[in-house]
Amino acid sequence: MNANKTGESVPKGSDHSNAESSEDRILALAKASAKGISDKDIQNEIPDLRPDQRASIINKFLSKGYLDLFTQGGTLLYKLKDPTVAQKVKGADNEEKIVYSIIEEAGNKGIWIRDIRFKSNLIPTQLNKLLKILENKKLIKAVKSVSASKKKVYMLYNLEPDRSVTGGAWYCDQDFEAEFVDVLNQQCYRYLQQKLEATKDCKGGPIAARNISYASSKDVWKYISDLGISKVQLSVEDVETILDTLLYDGKVERTVATDGDHFYRAVESLLPAPGIVRLPCGVCPVLQNCSDVGSVNPKKCVYMKEWLE
Amino acid sequence: MSLQFEKLCSLILLEHFGEIIQKVGNDLYKCQSKPLNLIVGSTKLPFQKVKQALRIMIQYGFVTFAEGQFPDKAEYTLLADKVILLLRYPRYLLLMKTQYGDEAEMLVEEILRRGQDTASSVIIRAATRLKESLKVEKVCLVTLHDKFSVLVNKQFLMRCPSPDEEKGVPVLTIKEKLLYLPPELNLKGLADIEEGKPGDPGDGGIYWRVNFDRFHQDFRDQIMVSAISRRCDDNAGELLKELLKQMYLRTEAWAATSNPVPFTELREAVRKQSSRPLLGQYIEQYLKVMEEDSSGFVSKVGDSSGGQYSINMKTAFVQLTWATIENIVMERFGSKGARIFRLVRAKKFVEQEQIQQVAMIPAKEAKLLTYRLLEENFLHIQELRKSLANNVPNKTFFLFHIDLNQVARMVLEMCYKALYNAMVRREHERSENRRMVEKQQRIESITLTMREQGATAEQLAEIEEMLTPPEQALLEKVRTMINKLSEAELQLDETMFILQLYLSYQV
Ligand code: SF4
Repeated sequence: MNANKTGESVPKGSDHSNAESSEDRILALAKASAKGISDKDIQNEIPDLRPDQRASIINKFLSKGYLDLFTQGGTLLYKLKDPTVAQKVKGADNEEKIVYSIIEEAGNKGIWIRDIRFKSNLIPTQLNKLLKILENKKLIKAVKSVSASKKKVYMLYNLEPDRSVTGGAWYCDQDFEAEFVDVLNQQCYRYLQQKLEATKDCKGGPIAARNISYASSKDVWKYISDLGISKVQLSVEDVETILDTLLYDGKVERTVATDGDHFYRAVESLLPAPGIVRLPCGVCPVLQNCSDVGSVNPKKCVYMKEWLE
Repeated sequence: MSLQFEKLCSLILLEHFGEIIQKVGNDLYKCQSKPLNLIVGSTKLPFQKVKQALRIMIQYGFVTFAEGQFPDKAEYTLLADKVILLLRYPRYLLLMKTQYGDEAEMLVEEILRRGQDTASSVIIRAATRLKESLKVEKVCLVTLHDKFSVLVNKQFLMRCPSPDEEKGVPVLTIKEKLLYLPPELNLKGLADIEEGKPGDPGDGGIYWRVNFDRFHQDFRDQIMVSAISRRCDDNAGELLKELLKQMYLRTEAWAATSNPVPFTELREAVRKQSSRPLLGQYIEQYLKVMEEDSSGFVSKVGDSSGGQYSINMKTAFVQLTWATIENIVMERFGSKGARIFRLVRAKKFVEQEQIQQVAMIPAKEAKLLTYRLLEENFLHIQELRKSLANNVPNKTFFLFHIDLNQVARMVLEMCYKALYNAMVRREHERSENRRMVEKQQRIESITLTMREQGATAEQLAEIEEMLTPPEQALLEKVRTMINKLSEAELQLDETMFILQLYLSYQV
């Protein structure tokens, strides 16, 4: 393996230029970590390496094919290429290799068949055949993406699909579980609302009352877990995602404590429903088309009629 | 201004003043200002009628005049905003009734009826009406006079400017110190007139009108106080009321931010009120809670003398406008639509992809809602071109965002339209059933004369039966419909008030 050779040549001599030794150290680092290394890891290892230098080294490695690129939880990870895979493809013909490398490049986000076709310039029938072969060899797999229900993406067999492909806890076979989210949304709100209710007869002054009405995301998480409404195990972050939907429903407020914990409390809107929506026109879907002349007009309007009955 | 506004304005004039004034109003709306002969020309109305219409509109403050392009020739301008205020008159009266009692309500009503009038004739007319409604022989003119002075002192009423010297086109002016100087009436003369004898109340030529801004100021304060009460509790609302009182001592009423109010003075003022012991005990905490609340009505601006607090009127109305619009979105597009709207508000600029992820709404539904919001102009779109590397085609991002000013204007338009529709419908219902209403009125008047002539109960009952039960039921139905519509019109005005105030703070 090329990578190993480069790696072995590290310790020799102090006359190595700075850049070269950095290259070696990065490779060593990647070798040591099976999970892959991030930019941050590199920075910790070689603090005096400038970001632009780092980028150029990484790019070099990527183009030479020493390293693979992944994203995990939003950060980029570099991983040493698995030598066995290279061997697996070895027996294959050139086209297979090309398709394989295109899919490999896509990392755990996967790639659509159309994009593979563009990149490889293969005709559809041939490409389909190749993909079948690779799939049968268990080198790649097809994963259904949540963002577009009909499209499959291809990725290497041993990869765990990215969250953007599977959708995380809220998806079941790439179906978004809207009802599940709604139920959780309601339950979280109920919990916070109860806390707010409890402040009504608090005699300790407004600040004490306000503090009572706050709940940390952990509290809510515990409450939800104890309710047992969820089949899957939810994390605190999952519950926070739900709590954030309440935030955008305008039903709760969020503050961040000094230690980074999130606290939530139920709040009342500043105003009751405004006057305009008490009239049918305020919620009328054809308001823009309504005028004195024509078939949509206030004199004959059926919405008005219903409302006035 | 918009077509909708023009239509609304015209309809209001028609409803309250009839066709001629409507025509003149419409004509004036179309241009900045116009001299009399041009109005006559374009409306094709008789000269005298136009003149009379203008006179009435000037009296109500709907039209102003000034010397135009030619010397000694007045040009007239329509103040459409003032016309729209006609819809708010019931609310002004309600405010008077609840805060200053029935007499104040009568006095203000009598002025509103005429647009402007002398103190003496207002008082006399109010006295006559009070006698009728209370069914008493005598009402105390002194009380009415005092009430009048109170209203002047509180600046709900003000003196009308008068022409200064005789020139071609008179200029109306008034000295500042006279504006809120209560009238000095000769009470003896007043009493004489009331009894129908000749007398001189001694205020000839001094006319009074209603100071709408002062009413609006009270409306504004009420809205803010009730909003804070909803957010925190009644004590907090009460504290804001005190704070507002303190603010008026040192700040011009319509300033965007009040001058700082020292904590010590506020505490004194609160202490004098024994009705709220909890507020007195926790005043500091209440201030802190209000200051930290996301509504941002109150902020701490200094630490001297126990802390300095000021009220942020402008911010408050930005918040209230958001709340109003969010509520409207909620009703029009459902809770998911409102979620998307608030999300865009919070993120300022956001991509479609992110919306569905954060809002946790299925992609299809989220897209549909976002584009409906966009279509109805609650959301706006910003295109962002970003060229990546050279070999990749230009990538374009579409970012959603909200321009509050624009949305507020649009919602205000919606309000005008809805209001117009409600008025049209109300008139429609009335005219559809005109025959029936007229019949009922006829029967009533017959009953009245018969009773005066001493008819028997039997005869009376017979006449009343001329209106069949189904007819009576129908009449009742029409009446409830009309009431429901009028009520909705008033509620609509509350929405308009917030939006208008928001926009007026923006300029
Ligand atoms: S009158 Fe009827 S159709 Fe017209 S805007 Fe109102 S509700 Fe809609």
